[in-house]
Amino acid sequence: MIVRGVEWLGSWVVAPVEDLGRAMRILGLGLLDLFRRPLRVRLTLGQIEFIGIQSLPIILLSSAFTGAVFTYESFEAFAYFGAEGLVGGTVGVAITRELAPTLTGLLVAGRAGSAMAAELGSMRVSEQIDALDAMAVDPINYLVKPRLLASLISVPLLTAVFDAVGIFGSYVVGVYVLHLSPPEYLVRLQDWVDWEDIWAGLAKSIVFGLVIGVVACYKGYYTDGGAAGVGRATTSSVVVASVTILVANYFIALLLPSPI
Amino acid sequence: MSKAAPAPVPLDPVTGAPAAIRYEGVRKAFGEHEVLRGLDLVVPRGKITFIIGRSGTGKSVTLKHIMGLLRPDAGHIWVGAEELTGMHDRALRRVRERFGFVFQHAALFDSMTVFENVEFPLVEHARLGARQRAEKVNTLLAAVGMSHAAEKYPSELSGGMRKRAGLARALVRDPEFLLYDEPTTGLDPVLAAAMDQLILDTQRARPELTSLVISHDMAAVFRCADKVAFLVDGVVKYEGNPETFRAIDDPLVQQFVTGSLEGPMKV
Repeated sequence: MIVRGVEWLGSWVVAPVEDLGRAMRILGLGLLDLFRRPLRVRLTLGQIEFIGIQSLPIILLSSAFTGAVFTYESFEAFAYFGAEGLVGGTVGVAITRELAPTLTGLLVAGRAGSAMAAELGSMRVSEQIDALDAMAVDPINYLVKPRLLASLISVPLLTAVFDAVGIFGSYVVGVYVLHLSPPEYLVRLQDWVDWEDIWAGLAKSIVFGLVIGVVACYKGYYTDGGAAGVGRATTSSVVVASVTILVANYFIALLLPSPI
Repeated sequence: MSKAAPAPVPLDPVTGAPAAIRYEGVRKAFGEHEVLRGLDLVVPRGKITFIIGRSGTGKSVTLKHIMGLLRPDAGHIWVGAEELTGMHDRALRRVRERFGFVFQHAALFDSMTVFENVEFPLVEHARLGARQRAEKVNTLLAAVGMSHAAEKYPSELSGGMRKRAGLARALVRDPEFLLYDEPTTGLDPVLAAAMDQLILDTQRARPELTSLVISHDMAAVFRCADKVAFLVDGVVKYEGNPETFRAIDDPLVQQFVTGSLEGPMKV
């Protein structure tokens, strides 16, 4: 009874530590490999196309509607105090510092991170990763590096797109639906949103890009247990990346200069 | 100071050929389950060696140790004069370049055509132009009877076609050693015989090639093998040529050879 209890407790400690060790291994080897030849430019461009360009439609749609609904909801609250003119600035800061990096991270983790984990996972269970090893091709260099690099490049770019389209969505609803005065909206936006806010959001997005790449790669790379294992790796990569993004978001916010 | 003379290459007791690969006291456990329990084996140069045994006796584990895909817990493995145990990843990769590996399910890359799969090792390692690569790939695809399927993807191939494409990929860099993991598993008897013939033809065309085959297909053993090693509980219980192996008066061997349900092996 006692032995079983200790074993159970041990498994709760060992599994997360083992997971963390694997993630750190992928992160360390992947980052070290960024500067090693072969550079894998074509593979990286292919991954940028998949993670970045193919994610554009959902980022465009999500950002436009996020800006729109945030404007609509906050307008009601500001109107209560007769301060409707503050909507543009408030929404601008919220989008650039918080909503754009976080939602972009979550959307990319759901769309591209899951696909990367599933692809690497199915390559693992069908021995394609072993085949790379057997052909003396380093799987970290061939599979992990292009995905990490592409994720690091794509997520900040998508965040910048989210910033622009989110604010545009907010402007459209603010001016054409809620009848705010265009100059007032734009002046407040210009007054409140600094380059610092934009850089803060982009800095977060670099970390989130790294999180998505590392989590997807390590979950896929260490998949076992056949088709069910691939399913588990895919689900787990989305859950772990999403939670890590939300937790990391808070701690990065503490490190960055205050918006006020 | 005179340079020390290299250690003499041991000879294989079964074929008399020099050893190409040697296992000495190799042990490997996964958790509490010990798969290899002090494996000793000599793989002779220029011959076809079959490692046979029931499922779960450590055949594939034995094969993966040579490539450094698995590391032994104890013991030594020599490939030629190089000892693999404790070798760094980069050095292991250099050793792997001397091998071709035919996987049980071929392990072709899903995202590439058959042609691209076979060409892949050349793109990665050989400094050849596109035309030279194409010539070499087309020659090999013709040799394994896969020219007609060069532009197909692995998902469009039958099991036998995949294995032949896998063999072409393994051969494309003219390896010194060719490892087969269950090459006839999942094939019908006619296709299995065709695969055996391909193994023999490959060996005849390359007399220096050392082939090691993991199998439990006795028909393939009697058709192709120069040497047979029978693995039981992680050690080599018997080794010999196919004829001497067939004549061994041990109920375990006879049950395995005949595939009988009656005998010391329990299902």
